[in-house]
Amino acid sequence: MVASKEELLEKIKEAVIEYEDDVVLEACNEWKEAGYDALDGVMDGLAAGMEVVGDLYDKNEYFVPEVLMCADALYGGLDILRPLIPVDTSKVKAQVVIGSIQGDVHDIGKNLVKMMFDVAGWDVHDLGRDVPLENFVEKQLKTDSEVVAMSAMMTTTMLGMKKVINMIKEKNPDCAIMLGGAPVTKDVANIFGADGYADSAGNAVSEGIKMIGRLREMRNK
Amino acid sequence: MAELTPKERVMRFFNHEPIDTMPFFSGMGMVLLPAINKLGYKFPQVHTSAEKLAWSAIESARMFDMDAAVIPYDMCWESEALGNEISLYEDSADILYPTIPTKKWLTLDQVKITQEDIDTIMTKGRMSLIPEAIKIIKKEAPELAVGAWQLGPFTQCGQTIELDKVLKGVFKQADLVNEILDKFTDMITKIGQELQAAGADFITLREPGVAADLLSPRTFKKVIQPRLTRILDGWESPKVLHICGSTDPLVAMMNECHADALSFDIKCNIPEARKIVGDDVILLGQYDVFELPCKEETTVEQAVAGINANIDTGVDAIWPGCDLWPDIKEENFRAMVKAVRDRGNTPTAASKRL
Repeated sequence: MVASKEELLEKIKEAVIEYEDDVVLEACNEWKEAGYDALDGVMDGLAAGMEVVGDLYDKNEYFVPEVLMCADALYGGLDILRPLIPVDTSKVKAQVVIGSIQGDVHDIGKNLVKMMFDVAGWDVHDLGRDVPLENFVEKQLKTDSEVVAMSAMMTTTMLGMKKVINMIKEKNPDCAIMLGGAPVTKDVANIFGADGYADSAGNAVSEGIKMIGRLREMRNK
Repeated sequence: MAELTPKERVMRFFNHEPIDTMPFFSGMGMVLLPAINKLGYKFPQVHTSAEKLAWSAIESARMFDMDAAVIPYDMCWESEALGNEISLYEDSADILYPTIPTKKWLTLDQVKITQEDIDTIMTKGRMSLIPEAIKIIKKEAPELAVGAWQLGPFTQCGQTIELDKVLKGVFKQADLVNEILDKFTDMITKIGQELQAAGADFITLREPGVAADLLSPRTFKKVIQPRLTRILDGWESPKVLHICGSTDPLVAMMNECHADALSFDIKCNIPEARKIVGDDVILLGQYDVFELPCKEETTVEQAVAGINANIDTGVDAIWPGCDLWPDIKEENFRAMVKAVRDRGNTPTAASKRL
């Protein structure tokens, strides 16, 4: 007997929260076979589970290892459901260029923010880590991405972000720039001319998940 | 009373003996661009030559009246010695610290650290340059205290294997992670002993990857604390334990690790930490290494106000919350040192005055 939509959504959501990769895969395959709407599965199953993970993180019940495991579980489901979401050719998909700045090989925070954009259905241009400054500018200009998200985990690499922001804003002042990473403060983000910031991998999780929540709210209106 | 030499000041400070003024030093990277420029070095060169490592540390300390020369500067030495290649960014015009772009062990199961690897670690990669540089500093700058540091086992593990795999492994492959952390613990203990034997006057154990915004305090207690304690027990005093990030929930546990002093970054509430550890424990750190000495917009007056605020928190010496960023505003940094010297004759909770 095919499980109801509600039952399966709950199963997907709970499995993301409990970082049960196998259960997420199983439930998403069931969802696919039942022919339910893939976008519903992503937003009300996978993303809804990640929203709870964000709450658990905010309450210090979950920490970064748990969030990473939940993210792995989410991606497993996303790989199954995302190809089934019809592409709306009448709309241009939002795009983001993302990467860790040159000199920085840390990418946990960057990957968690990337997850948020992936879930939201953006076209994500992930430049990886240790990215030369000019590559951010080139990619933004080439793709005309609305957002550039950069992360630096160390003060020793953070300063490169300012140069990238200046270069991008000079050529495309409408591009929104998000900064993230342990040494980045709101003050630093303002001084560098960024439009948003997350001060740690954890904060990126929290902020990113809140954005998912807002997207879900918008979709449900 | 004659002024103490910087080394006398630092050593007496750690021994809880009365000193003339508040020390201004660090236990982490403290190489400064004006010093490198004066010496005619390029930034990538200071990481690969014992002479340049030593002289850049000496000149940075002397030029700005700091009490210690501290080496090394980058966090890739041990990972490189275990077989990873480093990137020195020799062609970059920016100040970029060496990194490990790709790691040879892709999964926790691939990690293989033998007892021989540990016994011979100081002969691998660039490792021998550190004791060599310590000896040069001792000879050429006997007035300065010499500091050295080691990353803690969890952070070092993340320098050698991808950190996300280590973080997840704490839950999913706990036995394996524990086994690997034990190997790193032995290796770090051994390296610290070698650096002390070479003449390091004090040593800092830095474990930034375990702050309470990354790992739970419960995991810290179970997985991290016993190993930090084991390393610190294997080293001679003076020894400092430093953790970056959210440390307020960790202060009491850090204080049980047998360090002679505790060091924190800007996120720590030092007055609360003081209440937890009492007046006998030396507390260090917390000043913002970007905001005060580096930020273009920070005036001299603001830098001085910032360092005074740092003193007011109840720290026992002025010591940054992280590596000093090399490209400092000279006028700000000099004013910060002067402000400390001007106020330094007042005793603190754990440090008396002559």
